[in-house]
Amino acid sequence: MASKSLRQEFFKGVWDENPIFRQLLGMCPTLAVTNAVINGLAMGLATAFVLIFSSIVVAAIKKLIPSQVRIASYIVVIATFVTMADRFLAAFFPPISKSLGPYVPLIVVNCIILGRQEAFSSKNSVGRAFIDALGMSTGFIIALLILSSIREILGSGTWLGHQVLGSWFEPWIIMILPPGAFLTLGILLGLIMVIDRKLQRSV
Amino acid sequence: MNLSSRMIVVLTSVGVLSGALLSTVGLLTRERIEANRLKEIEEAIVSVVPGTTVNQKIYEEKDFTVYATRGEAGQITGYAIYTAGTGFQDKIVIMFGTDASLQKIFRLTILDQKETPGLGAKITDEEAFLQFWENKDCSQPLTLRKPPVSREELGASEINAITGATISSEAVLNTVNASLAKLRSLIQEGTINIEGNNGQ
Repeated sequence: MASKSLRQEFFKGVWDENPIFRQLLGMCPTLAVTNAVINGLAMGLATAFVLIFSSIVVAAIKKLIPSQVRIASYIVVIATFVTMADRFLAAFFPPISKSLGPYVPLIVVNCIILGRQEAFSSKNSVGRAFIDALGMSTGFIIALLILSSIREILGSGTWLGHQVLGSWFEPWIIMILPPGAFLTLGILLGLIMVIDRKLQRSV
Repeated sequence: MNLSSRMIVVLTSVGVLSGALLSTVGLLTRERIEANRLKEIEEAIVSVVPGTTVNQKIYEEKDFTVYATRGEAGQITGYAIYTAGTGFQDKIVIMFGTDASLQKIFRLTILDQKETPGLGAKITDEEAFLQFWENKDCSQPLTLRKPPVSREELGASEINAITGATISSEAVLNTVNASLAKLRSLIQEGTINIEGNNGQ
């Protein structure tokens, strides 16, 4: 692992090991909050904040933690940052906090975050853990933005609240309901596979 | 240090540090969060009782709060009632304004709801639902008109149902009727006295 350059460490989170499209982790927020771009973006940023800070802290204190209690310690660290993000949103962006509802506190159990601590931060230096978290967060935000853009445009005819499709367009309400999330995610996963296969063949 | 005492020390310090950090964050944001909530209620009161400049909370219990509202000259403009009822998915939180005699509903607004997008969620839509609540006679219980008719044809205490979302429409209606009945009985009992709260 140490042979990887920092650049590779960053980009693996965006494509090769994209948390949503490749690792299929963190599906709960992915499916639940991507009915509008603003919600997807807020969830992405909140998760990025939690992931980056948790990774730094875990990488910094990894030697002090006995392995028997590591998961408990990681969860406390993660929960601390999640609660901070939750309070921050409630104080400064009340409408977003309201529309995300219980999904902000639920970042605590988002597998991407605990997964990165266990798989990466607990074995690597602070710097590498930071780059890894940054890459994973970027991959997560990009995936949420793609999903929520498709769902908002087809489901409400808007993008980030702005009307993009004319009045002739009858919104597909199913796209902003739970089935729309599964349909969109499934089709995207298939597409990513096809693209990846093409890329590998050309290499 | 042996393993178990090391585990205790590590978990305790992680817990204490996180607790300290969180109580700081809690203290720093508490006031703002409370202010946001109050502002939202304040704005809703002004929007449901026209001409209101001051309001006073005169009764409070779980999911039911009554505000007496007054205009610029200190005259009573009516009541703003904050209430919640069970909708199709989750609680629907409502604020509506009545005149002081509880004969007329001025306006109604939805503060919070999790109804089906595109169907039940239309209860927040001015065109589809909220406009029918303007200046309604509520001396008798309100009833639902189904299928919906034009605003002119609608009876004095009738509300149009949203097509395809009768349950959500009914939920709002029942919540309002129940709150009005409750407020009337509270006034009759003397628990709420709009004049008596003058000096407080």
